[in-house]
Amino acid sequence: MPSSQAQPLVSVIVIVYNDAARLPRAVASALGQSLRGLEVLIVDDCSTDDSFAVARRLEQENPGRVRALRLPANSGGCGAPRNHGVAEARGEYVMFLDSDDELAEHAARNLYEAGTRTGADLVSGLSVRRFLGNRYGKTDAWYPWIYSRTRTLDSIAELPDLLVWDTLSTNKAYRRTFLAEHALTFPVGILYEDLLFSSQAYLAAERITLIPNRVYWWDVAPPSKGERSLSNRRHEIRNFTDRLEIHRRIDAMLADRGMVELKYRKDVKFLKHDLVLHLRDLPFLPEDFRKEFAEHARGYLAGLAPEAYEEVGSPQRICAYLLGQDDWDNLLPAVDTLINRDKLAAPLAEQDGRVYFCAEHLDDPEGRKVLDVTAHGYHASPLRKLFLRNRLTHYAAGAQGVELAGRIVNPLGRIPADAKLAARLDFSPRRKGLKSFSFPVAEVRHDGDGITWRATADLARKLRPLGILDAVWDVRCVLTANGERTTTRLTVGDLDLDSAAAPAVRPRLTRLTGDRLAPHATARGHLAFEIAAEGAAARRGTDLVERALRGEASALANTAADRARRTARGALQLKRTLNNGDTKLKVYHRLLQRLPVVKGQVVFESQQGRQFSDSPRAVYEELVRRGAPMKPVWSYAKSTEGFPSGATLVRRWSWQYLRALAQAEFWVDNQGYPYRLRKRPETTYIQTWHGSALKKMGFDLASLKRQTPAQQAEYLAGLNRFDHFVVRSEHDVRTLAPAYRIGEERLLRVGYPRNDVLLREDAGKDRQLAGELGIDLSKPVVLYAPTFRADARGKVRAFELPFDVEEFAERFGDRMTLLVRCHYLNRLVLPPSVRGRVVDVSEVQDVTPLYLMADALVTDYSSVMFDYALLDRPMLFFAYDWEEYAEDVRGTYFDLLREAPGPVLRDEGELYAALDELEATGKEYADRRREFAAAYGEHDRGDAAARIADLMFGPAPAAVRAGHDEQDQQEREAGR
Amino acid sequence: MSRDIFIVSNSVDELGGVASWSHRMAELLTGRGHRVELIGICPAVLHKDFGDGLPYGMTTLYDGHPPAAWTPAYPWQRLDVAARRRQSAREAGMREAAERMNAMFRAARPGAVVIVTQVWAMEWVALADLKGLQVIGMSHESFETCRASSRFGRVQRHYADVDRLVVLTDEDADAWIRQGMNSTCGIPNPLPFPVPETAAPAARTVVSIGRLAQEKGVDLLLETWSEAVRGREGWQLKIYGLGEEEEALRAQCTGLGLDDSVEFCGRTDDVPGALAGAGIFVLSSRGEGFPISLMEAMACGVPCVAFDCAPGVHEIVRDGEDGLLAPVGNTSALARQLGRLMDDQELRDTMGTRAREAIVRYAPERVLDRWEELFALLEA
Repeated sequence: MPSSQAQPLVSVIVIVYNDAARLPRAVASALGQSLRGLEVLIVDDCSTDDSFAVARRLEQENPGRVRALRLPANSGGCGAPRNHGVAEARGEYVMFLDSDDELAEHAARNLYEAGTRTGADLVSGLSVRRFLGNRYGKTDAWYPWIYSRTRTLDSIAELPDLLVWDTLSTNKAYRRTFLAEHALTFPVGILYEDLLFSSQAYLAAERITLIPNRVYWWDVAPPSKGERSLSNRRHEIRNFTDRLEIHRRIDAMLADRGMVELKYRKDVKFLKHDLVLHLRDLPFLPEDFRKEFAEHARGYLAGLAPEAYEEVGSPQRICAYLLGQDDWDNLLPAVDTLINRDKLAAPLAEQDGRVYFCAEHLDDPEGRKVLDVTAHGYHASPLRKLFLRNRLTHYAAGAQGVELAGRIVNPLGRIPADAKLAARLDFSPRRKGLKSFSFPVAEVRHDGDGITWRATADLARKLRPLGILDAVWDVRCVLTANGERTTTRLTVGDLDLDSAAAPAVRPRLTRLTGDRLAPHATARGHLAFEIAAEGAAARRGTDLVERALRGEASALANTAADRARRTARGALQLKRTLNNGDTKLKVYHRLLQRLPVVKGQVVFESQQGRQFSDSPRAVYEELVRRGAPMKPVWSYAKSTEGFPSGATLVRRWSWQYLRALAQAEFWVDNQGYPYRLRKRPETTYIQTWHGSALKKMGFDLASLKRQTPAQQAEYLAGLNRFDHFVVRSEHDVRTLAPAYRIGEERLLRVGYPRNDVLLREDAGKDRQLAGELGIDLSKPVVLYAPTFRADARGKVRAFELPFDVEEFAERFGDRMTLLVRCHYLNRLVLPPSVRGRVVDVSEVQDVTPLYLMADALVTDYSSVMFDYALLDRPMLFFAYDWEEYAEDVRGTYFDLLREAPGPVLRDEGELYAALDELEATGKEYADRRREFAAAYGEHDRGDAAARIADLMFGPAPAAVRAGHDEQDQQEREAGR
Repeated sequence: MSRDIFIVSNSVDELGGVASWSHRMAELLTGRGHRVELIGICPAVLHKDFGDGLPYGMTTLYDGHPPAAWTPAYPWQRLDVAARRRQSAREAGMREAAERMNAMFRAARPGAVVIVTQVWAMEWVALADLKGLQVIGMSHESFETCRASSRFGRVQRHYADVDRLVVLTDEDADAWIRQGMNSTCGIPNPLPFPVPETAAPAARTVVSIGRLAQEKGVDLLLETWSEAVRGREGWQLKIYGLGEEEEALRAQCTGLGLDDSVEFCGRTDDVPGALAGAGIFVLSSRGEGFPISLMEAMACGVPCVAFDCAPGVHEIVRDGEDGLLAPVGNTSALARQLGRLMDDQELRDTMGTRAREAIVRYAPERVLDRWEELFALLEA
C-alpha cells in the first residue's frame, strides 16, 4: 500500500461554503474510494459557520490524507477556492467535489485507470443527479448519450456534443501537469465559471477519454420555497449577462482556433437550451426587465450562424425571430409553446394555402419561412386533439369562492361564431387515482379569435381534499363547442398570484395538514393550488410533519405521520396492483377461464382493436344478416367511435374484455389477441389475417430465427391458438403458412371476407362517405396507399409524401382527386392549399369503400395491391426506394419489379407521366392484372364470409340466402 | 511480483470452455512465477481429464453435487420439513466448504487474488473470509446472452461487491457499466495455441466446428448453405461436432437436398487438423461470448464468415478486413457473404493472411500483461 508520503495518484478538491453539516459526507465519499492513493483537499471559502472547524477535524482524523485550507476572504463563487486547491494539490490527477455532492463508488479508480491507460489529459464520466427527498428515489443521468461507451478523442472536434452539452467541471479528472502547462484556472467574479473552465480544458486537451461509469452524484435538494440556488437565479439580469459574457469568451477561443463546426453546434445549443432557459421566465417578469433582456439577447443572437436557426425546433425559431422583431404580443404566446411543446398558443393565420403562427411579419421573406407552421397540422387536427392556450385574465378570491376568467384562442376561426358553447373547470389532484371535483363555467362567449369565459368556483365548500397525498391540485378548463370537447390549462402569465388571496379548504382526513388552497403557477406556467397552512393549528401540524420528514419529531409523531402516509399510499398501491397486467393474466387463466363458455358468444377484433373493419367486420355483418344465434362482442382500443351499436363493446385489456374472451365460443380477428392470453380448447379461433405477404414474415424473419428455443416456443404457442387460418391463394400457402407454422389441417381456403364486396356485381361507390370526405365523384378518383418504412433496427420512420403534393394539385387537381391513405403507424399533414383536390383518408376506418371509390390505385409495397387487383382497375407502383426496401433486414418473397401488374415508377416524373396516360396504361396491363389476381387471390370468390359463417353456426336458412333486398337493409343496421 | 492466485469455478475437471480457460490461465500465470490454485465447488457432470503432474494445485470442495437452493414460493411451503432439512444441510455444507477455502486463503501471501469464473461459485466464495484479498468476478458470456438467462440477476446480486468484474470485451464491459456494475473491465481470452508457422493450401471447403445444439445455429447454417451452394459447384461443407440436434440436422440436410455437398464429420480434438486445407470457416451461432473457434481459424489463416451475434465476434473478426459478418439470423445475408468469399480466391487469400497477422493481438503474453496490470490497479 502506498504510504501517505508518496505522491498521491489523485487529489480530490472539496470546496465548501457555509455547509458544515454536509461536508463530512462529501469527504467520506472521497476517502471511501476503492483507489487508495488519494488525497483530499478541503478549501473553505471563508465560511461564517463552522465549516472550517469541521474541515480541521477531518484533517486531524485522517492525517496525511486530508488537508484543510481556507481563503482569506469570501470569493462568492466556486472559482477561487478550486484554483487554490489546484495550486496546493500533489496528485497525478485532480478532481473537484462540491460539499453538497458525493463521488460515486470506484469513481477515482475508473477515472485514474482510463487516464493512465490512454494517456489522456482529461477523463470524464457520467454525472447522475439525485433528487433528495423524492419519494421514488428519482435519479437522472446527465447527458447519458455522450457517455454510452468508452471512447478516446484526440480532439474535442471529434465530439462537439461534449463541449456543447457537458459543461460541468466536477465529473472529470484532470492531469495536474496538463492544468499547469496550459495555466488553466477558473474565472473569478463571474457566474458560470464551470462553463468557461470546461470549454478551455476541452480545447487544450490533446487527448480526452470518456467512460460510461457513474463518477459523480450531483445531489439536488428538494425545492424549498423562496430561495433559489446560485446558478438557478435566472431572475437577475446579471445571470443572463454573465452567461452571455462566458459564451462570448468561448466563441472567441473557438474563432482563434478556426473551429467553425464547433461554434455552429454551440450556436444550435444556445438556441435550444440557454435561450430557452431564460425565455421561459419572461412571461412572469416585469416589463423593464423584459426590455433589458431583449436588448442583450438581440446583440448576442445577431452573432449566431444563420444556419443554426434551421436546425432547432420551430418554437425556438419563432421565439428567436419575434425577439429580434421586438414583437412582444406574439412572443409571449410563442414562449408558451416553447414551455408546452404541443400547445397551440396563437390564433394563427392562413395565407395562400399555408398556415402561419401569426398574421404579422408575413411580408418579410424570413418571417414567412420561420412562422410557417403548416406541418404541425393545426388546421386539420380535430379540435379535441388540440391543446389550446387559455390565458387567465382574472383571479380573485371572494365570499362566493374563487372568481376566474380567461380567454381561449380560437385558431383559424375553427370554432364558428354560432357554435353552441359550454365549459367546466376540473380540479384534480396531481397524484393519479384520487377524487377530482368539477365546477360549471357560468359564462362562455365567442369573441372573434378567442373564446372568453368567467366562472366562480366555491372551493371552500365543494372541494374536499384528503389532506394527505393530494397536496397539489391542477386546474383544467374543458370547453365544449358543438359537442366536441377540448381540454385546456390556465396560463397564469404576469397575473400576480403571490399577493392574491388563498381560498379556505377543509381537508377530509385532518385539518392539521392545511387550511388554505394557495394558488401558484407550475413550472409550465399553469394555475395550480397547493394546500397551505395559515391558522395556528394547521401551522403546528405541518411543522410537525415536516420535522417528522427530517426525523426530528418525537418517535410517536413520526410513527403516526408515517402510518397515515403508508395507509393512504398502500390503498393506491393496491388499486394499481389489482389492475396491472400480471394480476389480470392470473385471474384470466385461473378464474375467468373456469367460468362456463357462453354459447354463441363471438369476440371480434380488428387491427388490435383500432378499427371496426376488415374481415372480422365482414364476418360479423354476414352473421347479423342471416340472424345467426350469436352474442357479438367487439373489442376497441381507444374509442368506441365507429363501432356497431348492435354488439357489446369492450375495451382491449379491460376486465370485461378478458371475461368475454374467456367465455367465448369463437374468437375472430385479423392480427392477434394479446400473446400471453391462452385459449381454452372449447373456444374456436378463426384467424382471418390482414393480408398476403410481399415482405418476409414470422419465422422467416431473422429476428425470430435468432431466438432461443424458449423464446421461439413462446411465439409458437401464440400461433398455435389459431384453429383456422384464412388464406386467399396458394401464394399464402407457400409463404404465410410455413412462416407461421400452420399445418394443412388448419388452413381455410375460402378467401378474405373483406374482399367479398369487391367481387359483387352491384358494388358501387359510397356517395354518403364521399360527401362526408368532400370528394367530387364526377372526376376520376385515385387512391394513394403507401406502406410504412422502418429503419435498420425496425423503428418506424416518420411519413413524408415522396412527391410534392402542391405541385400534384396544381397539375392534376382539375382532372382528378387524389385520396391519400397512409399506414396506420404513420401520420399525414396536407397543407390547406390542396383542399378538395388531395384528401387525407387515413382516418377512415374501413378501407374497402375507398377501393370501390377509387378508379385507380397508386401504391408501393402495401398488401393493398393484392386486394385491389380483384377490381381489375389500373394500378401504378410508385417504388422509388425498392432496392433499399427489398434489401433491408427483412427481405421479400418475390421480386415486385418483375411481377407488378402495372408500371413500376421510380421517380416523381415517371409517376406524373403515368397519371397523364392513366387509361392507356390501364389497358396495357389488363392481362398482367388478371394473371396477378388469379395468382394471389384465387380463393377469393365472393362468398368467404358466408362460408365462415357456415363453419361457425351451420348453413344459413335458404330464405335468408335468397333475400337480397333485405340484405342491404340489415347491413346498414349492422353497420354504424 | 509473484502472487498467490486462486481461480474458483463450478468444476475444475469439466468438459467446456470455462474449465479450459481456467487451466490455460493457470498454466500461463504459473509460467510468470505466480502460485496458482484451481478450486472447483463440485465434480463435473461431463468430466474431462486434464492430466496429472500439473504445475499448479487443484482442489474440489464437494464429493458430489450440493443440494439445490430452496426458496419457498408460497408461505405454506415453509412448513415442508423435509425441504427445510435439505436446506439446512446445504447451508452447513456451504459453511464447511467456505471453511476449507478460508484455510487456503489464510495461508496466502499479501497481494493474493481470487478470480471467480462463474457466478454460481461466487455464492460459496462470498461465505469465505475475503479480508486482504482482491476478488475478481467473471462473466464468460456476452452481456446479451447473460441478459436472456437467469444468471443476469445473479451476476448483479452476487458480484455487487467484488473489486472488479471482468468480462470478455470492452463493449460488454460498457454494457455492464451502463447496467450499474460500476467496476467492470474487459479482458479477452488468450489464443489456445501458438500461431502456426505456415498456413496449409486451401481447398474448396467450408468448415464449421461446434456442438450440434440449437444455440450454435447449425440449422441456420444448412439454410444458408442451400442458398450459397446454388450455382457454386464443387464446394463442400464440413460440419464438425456432436450433439442432441444431430438427427434433426441430418434430416433437415436431406430435406433440403444437400446430402451431396454436406458432410457431418463428428467430434474432433485436432482443431488445426480439421482447419488444414479449409477455404472458409463459418460460424452460425445464435449466441456466443468470445468464440475460440474464430481465433483458431484465423490463426490457421482461414478467413471467417460469421453471424455477428456478440461483441466478441466483431472484436475478433473485423468485418470486411479479415473476415465477413452478417446480422444474426439473416441467413440470406450470411449466404451472400459466404458467396462473396467462395467466388473470390484472391479475397480469401488476402483475408486469410490478414487474419493470421491480426490474431496475434490475443497472444498469451499480451493477455497476461492485461491481467497483471489489473492486479496492480486493484492495489493502487
